[in-house]
Order: sequence, then structure tokens, then C-alpha cells
Amino acid sequence: MATNRFLAAVLTASILAVPFAAVAKPVAFAGGTTVMGEYGAGTMQELQAFYAPSHRYSLGGGYLKLDSDVDGRTRNIAYLRANWLAKRWNLEAAQANVFAWGGVGSARGSDFSGQEVAGNAGAQADYETRRVYASLKSDFHDSRDFTHRIDTLQLGFAPYEHEYDRLALWVVVQARTYTGGIYGGTEWAALIRGFKGGTWIEAGVTEDGNLQAMLMFNF
Amino acid sequence: MKISKVLLLAVTVLAGDAGAVTVEMTVNGLVCGFCAQGIEKRLRKFPATADVLVSLEKRLVAISLRDGGDIGDEDLTRALEEAGYAVKAIHRTDTPIAVLREQVRGAGK
Repeated sequence: MATNRFLAAVLTASILAVPFAAVAKPVAFAGGTTVMGEYGAGTMQELQAFYAPSHRYSLGGGYLKLDSDVDGRTRNIAYLRANWLAKRWNLEAAQANVFAWGGVGSARGSDFSGQEVAGNAGAQADYETRRVYASLKSDFHDSRDFTHRIDTLQLGFAPYEHEYDRLALWVVVQARTYTGGIYGGTEWAALIRGFKGGTWIEAGVTEDGNLQAMLMFNF
Repeated sequence: MKISKVLLLAVTVLAGDAGAVTVEMTVNGLVCGFCAQGIEKRLRKFPATADVLVSLEKRLVAISLRDGGDIGDEDLTRALEEAGYAVKAIHRTDTPIAVLREQVRGAGK
């Protein structure tokens, strides 16, 4: 427990100290569409699609599947969601953002019967330069029979500064926690991320040796 | 030095856009190629756009205009804002975009 508190303090300090980058953003650009699929080490799987009428907000939906690593319970949540760019700082050699989102959908679970209305809310803060980045995301899902929060911290380092039309490469360390009996403790993962043009792919392993991967398209 | 000038001239002639007007914009927040594609997508919607260059290294967005075409500074600033970025300076030059592109590539090596 004390170790977890220490790790949390270190991670928080890292976010505050490191110039916060190549972060997956829920709002792309005006007229842009983002499609994303994530495989989270067998614990979570998520598909999302958002269209941004403005660079300030996007609308769309997603599907989240959770498989508890603790007791095998499952969640299947389909939702419609609006994402909002609350604040952006365009600095000379960096960019920082704060996003928030909210939505509603329906959920099924292995430990309750039928279908329930489920709410979704969350926020993300990120900072990036061409060499380092950090992002902290918190995603909250709530219904009559369950409450889950998924917190994800990512710290990334680019071995070289990519140009616009060249392949970007990042080495990323990810820490993720789940509440509500989905996973015990903090799930650590090491990832390699690459993107070029509108295609983004990342893959790696968790400390348990499970696959963590994401594929995203912007167009 | 002389060789590089000859090469630049050759690029210019080969590109066939000698004398074309190029608008150069200095842009803040330009750090991620994946995120910056909205800039190119938005600028290419202008009928007067002939070509677009984005350089993260130089914090540069450049657009070459078709013969007789023009895009106002306000429209360009708004377009960059819609892509999510902040324009800090705009100026027009006779430097062909092909030359700028070579300069950017040269700087990246």
C-alpha cells in the first residue's frame, strides 16, 4: 500500500516536473474523424469513432468491454459521447491540452441481469514537445450496479525529433489502474508507438506479459 | 555555396513555380505530425492553394498560391485556428515552396 502511494506520488511529480506529447486526443481538427481501437492486456477492449465539427469538440460513440482480472466479471458498455477541448496552450515548441467528455449509453454485466443505462464522464490533461510527453486520463463509467474508473498515465520519449512527413517513433511507459474489481493494483506496460500521416499504431507488453496495443486513424 | 545555389535554382526551375507567391506562417504548438494533418487538409480546401508545406522543425506552415489566386491573412489565421494551432506571424515571399521544402529537408539531415 505504501509502495503504491509512493509510486503515485512519483508519477504525479513526474507529470508536474516533466514538460508534459504525441498523445491520443479525443478531438482532432475541424472536419476530422478519429477512429480508434485499443486492446488493453485482456482486461479492457475499446472501440471509438468521433467526428469533430470544430477543433473545440467532437461527437461520436464507443464500445467498452471489461473483463475482470480479479473475479472474472464482465462489462459490455456501448455509449454516445461528446468530447470538449476545454483549454489548449500552443507554445513555441510545445502544446498542452485539457479535454473533458461526457456521455450516456447502455451496459450489460455478468453479475446483474438485463441492460442498464450507464453514464460516462472523463478528463485528460496532456503536454508534449517533439521529444517528451505526458498524459493523464481518467475515464469514469457508472450505472445502477457498477462504478468503474480507469486512470491511465503515459510518459513518452522520442529517440529523435520527427518531421511532419516522416515516421514518428516513441517509447512509452504506461501505468493504469481500474476501480470496481476489474484489476488489483497498478498495471504497468512498456510500449513502442509509431505514426505517420493519419495512421497511428502502438504495441507493447504489460508486466504480466500481456499484449497492450492500439490502432488509430485520423482522416 | 555556389553548388547549393545552383541546386536551389535547378529545383526552382524543375518545380515550374518560379515567381509564384508563397505565404509563410510561423505557427506555435506545432509538435506532432499526426495532429498537424488537419492543417494541410484545411488549407488545401482553398481554391487558391497550389501546394502546402508543414515543417515541425521550423515551426513553419507555407502555402503556395495559384496564379492570380490569393487568400487573406485573416482567412489563413482562422484556418490554422480551426486546425487547432496559433499563428504568430505571416509574410509573403517570392521564394518557391519547392525551395522551402528542400531547405526543410536539408535542415532535417
